[in-house]
Amino acid sequence: MGLFDKLAGWLGFKKEVNVLCLGLDNSGKTTIINKLKPSHAQAQDIVPTIGFSIEKFKTSSLSFTVFDMSGQGRYRNLWEHYYKSGQAVIFVIDSADKLRMVVAKEELDTLLNHPDIKHKRIPILFLANKMDVRDALSSVKVSQLLCLDNIKDKPWHICATDALKGDGLQEGVEWLQGNPSRVCASMCVCVCLPN
Amino acid sequence: MSEWSGDDGKWLDAHYDPVAGLRTFTSCMALADLSGDGDGRLVVADLGGGASAASMKLKVYGGTALSSESVLLDLPCGLVAFFMDLHEPRIPAVAVASGPCVYVYKNLRPYFKFTLPGLDVNTLEQDVWQEARDGHIDPPAIKEMLESLRKKADIPLSVRSLHFLSLDDEHLEDFVQLHKQQPIKRQTVITCMGTLKKSTADEDGVSCLVIGTESAHLYVLDPEAFVILAKVALPAPPTMLDVTGQFDVEFRITAACRNGNIYILRRDLDKPKYCVELSSHPVGLVRVGKNMVVGTTDQNLQGFTQKGKKLWKVVLPAPICTMASMDLPARGFHGVLVGLANCEVHLYKDKNLVSTIKTPDAVTAICFGRYGREDGTLITTLKGGGLVVKILKRTVEFQDRDSTPGPPAAQSIRLNVPKKTKLYVDQTLRERENGTAMHRAFQMDLIRLRLAAAKAYAKALESSLTPVSSGSGRSLKMNAVVQGLGPSFKLTLNIQNTAACRPILNLAVSFLYDQSLYRMRNPFLKIPLLVPGLVYPVQTLVECTSDKGISDIIKVFVLHEEQSTPLLTAHINMPVSEGIN
Ligand SMILES: Nc1nc2c(ncn2[C@@H]2O[C@H](COP(=O)(O)OP(=O)(O)O)[C@@H](O)[C@H]2O)c(=O)[nH]1
Ligand SMILES: [Mg+2]
Repeated sequence: MGLFDKLAGWLGFKKEVNVLCLGLDNSGKTTIINKLKPSHAQAQDIVPTIGFSIEKFKTSSLSFTVFDMSGQGRYRNLWEHYYKSGQAVIFVIDSADKLRMVVAKEELDTLLNHPDIKHKRIPILFLANKMDVRDALSSVKVSQLLCLDNIKDKPWHICATDALKGDGLQEGVEWLQGNPSRVCASMCVCVCLPN
Repeated sequence: MSEWSGDDGKWLDAHYDPVAGLRTFTSCMALADLSGDGDGRLVVADLGGGASAASMKLKVYGGTALSSESVLLDLPCGLVAFFMDLHEPRIPAVAVASGPCVYVYKNLRPYFKFTLPGLDVNTLEQDVWQEARDGHIDPPAIKEMLESLRKKADIPLSVRSLHFLSLDDEHLEDFVQLHKQQPIKRQTVITCMGTLKKSTADEDGVSCLVIGTESAHLYVLDPEAFVILAKVALPAPPTMLDVTGQFDVEFRITAACRNGNIYILRRDLDKPKYCVELSSHPVGLVRVGKNMVVGTTDQNLQGFTQKGKKLWKVVLPAPICTMASMDLPARGFHGVLVGLANCEVHLYKDKNLVSTIKTPDAVTAICFGRYGREDGTLITTLKGGGLVVKILKRTVEFQDRDSTPGPPAAQSIRLNVPKKTKLYVDQTLRERENGTAMHRAFQMDLIRLRLAAAKAYAKALESSLTPVSSGSGRSLKMNAVVQGLGPSFKLTLNIQNTAACRPILNLAVSFLYDQSLYRMRNPFLKIPLLVPGLVYPVQTLVECTSDKGISDIIKVFVLHEEQSTPLLTAHINMPVSEGIN
């Protein structure tokens, strides 16, 4: 744990992080975010997201603000407006949708080449979701199809998840807690301390 | 995954199965949300490999896998997905046309079979078989009578009689014994099928089936009771249909027929309203908005209005295999996909080629729409049985311009031509009526003008003793004066530099004359520097050596020392020498 984390812990502050949750429609983003929230706040019915919705929740050391972006084609051009404020990205992939793996790759490449993301060392967490579905691809296969090995200048991590049961989500969030970019940690001082 | 795709970067290669073993045509393929959950499926009536019925199948693909298949009883010729009722969830039924029947599937299970009504039977033919049943005539006699009927009857023979006529003599008896008890029937077969919304234009509105038959009829079927709502006769059997509108409101059926014509029918049915006669047979018929695009066997793609007026024509680089429409309402894009024999699929927006897709093999069927969760999916099947799925990139913009080089767009911009005035109209009318007279009058005037000009010129030549000449390259002017009565004449050349400020150097004058007539003191004169504006008289004496009273021309050349061609020439008509030697 860094010094700041300890300080924040003593003072009762929690580090705030803006996380963008991206991925194609129907990949399970809203379901995942819903699962990460404390159980009493969880919604029962998940409907397709229109535009985007903002969710806030806390874990032991981080306070997340998650932008749950709609993945439907006509809303995907909204994503880039939030790249500037994003300090971490969760990229959700439907590992059972083999047909649209190319579309996921295309959107990922567009994301990685965007000027607001390209030169930032922001961590990217890939969630190969719906691993419970019978013919789903493994996380290794997903990372192969998305050519994740080509990402050299950003920390990234992939884990297989089942958002309905919540399997694999903990692993992902723990990785993310250890990895928020250093730049934003110092930014957060200004944001959080006045509270 | 990318070595087989040579695209223009507008499409993503989602799936390619070279051994899918699909043998089908565009008319036997449809995209439909068969589970009602927004997940588009591909429904294919597969014609199978051989002639055996077992290999004809109804196949359903979801994602990258075949999700179900069931056996078809007969060779399919058309497949459509349509809503036949208002039940929830909204799941479309699938209709497969084969032979004289339409098989309707609900939830992929056989639900209903519609058979076309029989056609009128030739009464004489009926009589022949009646006689045969009663045993009054023997097979050779039947054969003879049917043969003569076939030649002259206006109602064609039934399939049974035709079959009978094709048999060898020894099989005739058995055939008659086997069939004589059943009444003869004449049945047509379906050639093409389409759908027509019943009363609403909604995406999931209930639709009627529209069926084209070999007997050159169009039928509109009610989706609930499967009764015939309308029947129209066409001049020839239809091969392709395009239907828009609603049956209860207003609709339009465009049918490409086997006689190479396209007929357009409106709601007030009865007979075709418009007819387009094509230069060669149609192989594809697609509606784009209100216009229709037709591909023909002579490698042409042509656009027509809904009234059959030709709008444009494009010549394609290879024969057309199949055509399909590409509609992306969310982006307001409507185009035509054309599968070519050179293993390419061209996308045309109006007459502009906006995308070229290379395929590993020639395409046999094309289908565009929502597949899986992607609205812009292009599905093609290949000659070798392969299946290709491509997804249009989200960010692609199709240019209105043609991607092939050609005349600039400015060429097709209409000029803002002002309205015709009354005067203009009167004038054109007059011109149209009196064209010949006006032309004659003009020619006469022209000839008169030429004559007048020639006369004036001749007069000037004759009367002028001081020919003036001026060269174009250098600004020089010269005139010549001849003085004296002869035999000695004084020839004065007045030379002027007409340039604004540049003097001219190194000029000389020389003469060309008949030396038996004239003698010249100085046939070569050097001219001093010519200051602009001043007139320099250059003089020389000419002596006429003949006493016969004749005269000749003396040619004067003004030369520059470094040039062989003269700057100026002048012809001087010498007067007759009147003096005595
Ligand atoms: N089998 C399975 N279904 C999932 C999983 N995660 C999400 N879903 C389902 O996928 C559908 C789309 O989820 P949603 O969160 O709305 O996706 P979003 O569009 O990315 O926000 C819903 O019907 C979820 O129940 C998973 O891990 N396994
Ligand atoms: Mg969502």
